Amino acid sequence: MNKYTLSKRQAVNELSTFYSFIAGFLIALIIGSIILLAQDKNPIDTFSLMFRLSIGSVNSLSSSLNKATPLILAGLGIAIINTVKLWNIGAEGQIFMGAIGVNFLYINLSLSNSTIFIILLLLSAFLGGAFCILIPALVKVLFGVNEIITTLLTNYIVIGLTIYLVNGPWKDPDSLNFPAAAYVGKEVYLPNIFGKLSYGFLICILFTALAHYLKNKSVFGYEMRIAGGSEMTAVYAGINAKQKAFLAMLIGGGFAGLAGGVELLSQTHRVSTGISQGFGYTAIIIAAITGMRPIGIFLVGTLFGALSIGGSVIQTIGVSTYIADIIQASTLFGALIIQFFFNYKLLKVDDD
Amino acid sequence: MIDIQLLGLLNATLQAATLLFIAALGELITEKSGILNLGVEGMISIGAVAGFITAVNTNNIFFAVIVGVLSSAIFASIHAIVTVVLKQDQTVSGLILTILGLALSSLIGKNYVGKKLDTKLESLFSINDPSNIFEVLLSQNIIFYISILFMILISYTLKNTMFGRRFEAVGEDSKAADSMGLNVIKTQFIATCLGGAFAGLSGVYLTLSYVPYWTDNMTAGRGWIALALVIFGGWKPYRTALGALLFGFLEALVPRLQTYGFELNPYIVKISPYIITILILVLLTIYKDGKTGAPKNIGIPFFRENR
Amino acid sequence: MNNKILETKNITKSFGTLKALDNVSFNLFEGKIHGLLGENGAGKSSLMNVLSGLYQPEKGSIYIKKQKYKISNPDHASRLGIGMVHQEFRLIESFSIKDNLTLSRSNIHKDDFMTAFKKYSEIFALNLSENETVSNLSVGEKQKVEIMKIIFNNSNIMLLDEPTAVLTPQETIQLKNSLETLATEDTKTIVLITHKLKEIREFTEIVSVMKNGKMVSQDLLTQKVSDNELINLMMGNVKKSQINKDNTIGDVKLDVINVSFKDPVNNIKKLSNVDLQIKSGEILGLAGVSGNGQVELANIISGIERTFEGKIIINDNDISNKGVKSRKKLNLSYIPENRLGVGLAPGVSVIDNSIVRDYFQTKLGPHLSKNRSAKYLENLINQFSIKAPNPKAEISTLSGGNMQKLLMGRELVGNPDVIIAAQPTRGLDVNAVEGIHNLLIDQRNRGSAIFLISEDLDELFKLCHRLLVIYEGKVIKSFTTTDSNISSVGLAMAGINE
Repeated sequence: MNKYTLSKRQAVNELSTFYSFIAGFLIALIIGSIILLAQDKNPIDTFSLMFRLSIGSVNSLSSSLNKATPLILAGLGIAIINTVKLWNIGAEGQIFMGAIGVNFLYINLSLSNSTIFIILLLLSAFLGGAFCILIPALVKVLFGVNEIITTLLTNYIVIGLTIYLVNGPWKDPDSLNFPAAAYVGKEVYLPNIFGKLSYGFLICILFTALAHYLKNKSVFGYEMRIAGGSEMTAVYAGINAKQKAFLAMLIGGGFAGLAGGVELLSQTHRVSTGISQGFGYTAIIIAAITGMRPIGIFLVGTLFGALSIGGSVIQTIGVSTYIADIIQASTLFGALIIQFFFNYKLLKVDDD
Repeated sequence: MIDIQLLGLLNATLQAATLLFIAALGELITEKSGILNLGVEGMISIGAVAGFITAVNTNNIFFAVIVGVLSSAIFASIHAIVTVVLKQDQTVSGLILTILGLALSSLIGKNYVGKKLDTKLESLFSINDPSNIFEVLLSQNIIFYISILFMILISYTLKNTMFGRRFEAVGEDSKAADSMGLNVIKTQFIATCLGGAFAGLSGVYLTLSYVPYWTDNMTAGRGWIALALVIFGGWKPYRTALGALLFGFLEALVPRLQTYGFELNPYIVKISPYIITILILVLLTIYKDGKTGAPKNIGIPFFRENR
Repeated sequence: MNNKILETKNITKSFGTLKALDNVSFNLFEGKIHGLLGENGAGKSSLMNVLSGLYQPEKGSIYIKKQKYKISNPDHASRLGIGMVHQEFRLIESFSIKDNLTLSRSNIHKDDFMTAFKKYSEIFALNLSENETVSNLSVGEKQKVEIMKIIFNNSNIMLLDEPTAVLTPQETIQLKNSLETLATEDTKTIVLITHKLKEIREFTEIVSVMKNGKMVSQDLLTQKVSDNELINLMMGNVKKSQINKDNTIGDVKLDVINVSFKDPVNNIKKLSNVDLQIKSGEILGLAGVSGNGQVELANIISGIERTFEGKIIINDNDISNKGVKSRKKLNLSYIPENRLGVGLAPGVSVIDNSIVRDYFQTKLGPHLSKNRSAKYLENLINQFSIKAPNPKAEISTLSGGNMQKLLMGRELVGNPDVIIAAQPTRGLDVNAVEGIHNLLIDQRNRGSAIFLISEDLDELFKLCHRLLVIYEGKVIKSFTTTDSNISSVGLAMAGINE
């Protein structure tokens, strides 16, 4: 019969998330190597090439950081919402809505001061993201409708809306058959700090600090934690739990919207279905893997950005770009498996 | 005489609905055991590519279906290991299953993009007269009949058999089920793999009959619709089928709108099922006092010694 | 004592560093009703969980009818004829009574379900259709179904974990009769877990006593052992403190006037015309079986529930329409019945939980000072001797007693004028209970007006000056503790108002 029994650990190591991540990443590299070997590619060569092409030079490092920016911003949004123990599966839609928000304001407003204009456009992106999660947030706090499902479904609604806009009212006649809106003017492009590194990354650092403060150091963060721990405790403490949940969702949605806005103003420069390539989903991996810690999200987001760049450039040697996705997903699976051993322990059972 | 175009719409509706329904049925089984699996999209994709590759290489359709179904079931076992055995978060695990499934299937299927199938998964009867409604109904793909069979079987089993009641007990209250001597871990593990198998069946139907070719991301969000369908159907097989028909109808309607001379915007029609699902979910939550039909234990990992 | 049906030897089971069971040996004799006596946390439930296959002990062996078994899961236990009724029922609420009774693997009444259902319905005085959905049943009825369930599973050894905690005195007598019938007619071996001496006397023939995870005395004949002996075994040496009730009583601090309340969800009347006054230095008790409106009344006074009729006056301020925070400002403290879930937020750190009452005083604008919070917690830990080694750890890493001390400390550190304490000692060991009682007495002597809601009559008689009895949302009787006896209060709790 069973020689071992499972027991829940009373105190979990504080660094367990970090160790799990490292172990998970190693597991993912092993899985990646196996896949590469199966394709007759030398894993060490491939990985070192990926490494060189993603952070080996100022240019490639800049690309990686630019790539990481939307991942990090969306990941922060997910982490803020998770403070009240709610899930945001809708970051993908919010990213699109952020980009739509930018274009909407750009079409309807014209300002000579481009700095102020850019700030207003980014604000509009934030509001777009918040607007995108408004319905799920409302029905959550009013009726208790499961937010996992509603935020997930809004992704498809917003992507549908994007397809409609770029094929219909916003379609750029110059883009020929490719459905996309017209480019925004150069005056509202987010400039580069140096090389290819966009100011978007600076915004990303700023919002990481903001999210960290909001979650861990502010009264609002405290109230969110209590509300997330138990709605009854919040009510008991005189904290309006529903209001905190609602605000957290809007702010989190806004962060993801901002990701879309930054991506548009710094990279794509126009609305199309290519605004996000699953950034919203990768952001969930990043947020989950770090235990919803903003600074962790920044670091892992940067790593994943580099992985994506590395993955996309190794196509040239005939390796599928999906290897990056597989490594990212396997990292989290690996980390979840390792996390189990931090949460539980196996006890040997004596026979007598 | 019935309008041929209308029958064509019916035919397309049934095909699209089958594709969604079979995956939704699998998710329904998984969720009834108390496990949420958001990885349907990834599982369909794995089944689709595995079935397609096997069909291209062996020309044996039956074998291809088996391989597709088994691949997805094995793929789903990752979710079962992580959430059932290791008790980790079901939302996170399911999401990565989708991302991993899409990436893996693209990787595996890279050399098969654009390849042609010599044999397809056929219907039992071929249509001679597309204007005859009975012929349209009889000429559906074999998967269509299988899904109807499963619908009746699953609904009957859950409601009327000891096995089904016990299965449902696990999803409703795993601790109570455990105290009844039911094996919660085993039930949930098998239910998760079964869900994968159904998603795989949906996948092989997609690449061996519905489309039939292989290209990246060809599941096109159907896995997410399948998830929505389970909610739409209140975790009941017949109502889920009804939902599948509605979603299938809208999918079939979009390319035909113009032929019918409607001014409806096709993009709005395309997103309407998602809006309807949200509405239904909200209405169910409000008017049925929170009793949406969801298994009570969903999302909560079972650990016997939890105090 | 003839037929030894079950025997355990040297069972050991730990949770982390806590040894829940330490070398425990235990015997059961066929057809007898056994008592397993001990305070909360003594290890009674853990021992029963081992016997029912829920917990795997690290050491020790179990013999059933002289044969050694390793009980690997609940299913295995039922096949060996052991069934347990937990405090939280293991019933599937959305299923019918029949489904709940028949779905178990070891069910023996598949073919003669109706005959068996009728027979046991009679024994338990259960008057319900087998098709009734369990969620519609009262707590007492659910318990009957739960006990029937283990009988249907062919359990000859029935382990009942504090079955009377949820019952009225009348239901308790009914249960006693049912169990006696089962023991004599069906030769069921029954174990009653309890910490109440009275029940050991009334229900059992044989009693064993546990303390701190150890079996301190085994197989005593209930008839031949005195209450004092049992108390000494159960509690070790306890000084029975007689509390002086001649302290100074001052002005009215809390005035509850004609409060009525309907549950907004189902429109059921939960409170009708409740009136009460508590003066400075006075402890007023509210006795009643749980679920008779106590939680609602406490929530209304503390400002959590705002949709009631009537008036709440604290220190001459009418605060009927005000919220939680304004009551805190008038120095009202509320120690809720539900420790983890209401008073403390699960999944949140010790330090975060420690400032729930006063966090808006430790803030600087939108900023929450970590230093101030840390100092606040440190002060609580010192003043109330709380064992909380890691402030950042989740609150659930604390023991029940330390959680309650943290909660009480947090609510009492500001020397409140009015204290509402609901079931403050539930589930705590005797030393922790003594500590909590002393805290309340200190506050009383300082001049607080204390409203003590409890089901434990001993506690109420020990601490309170006056007692109100609540039944179905009405205050049906009031007593002064010095000149009334426990049994008349017990009758009133059952709704009998002679």
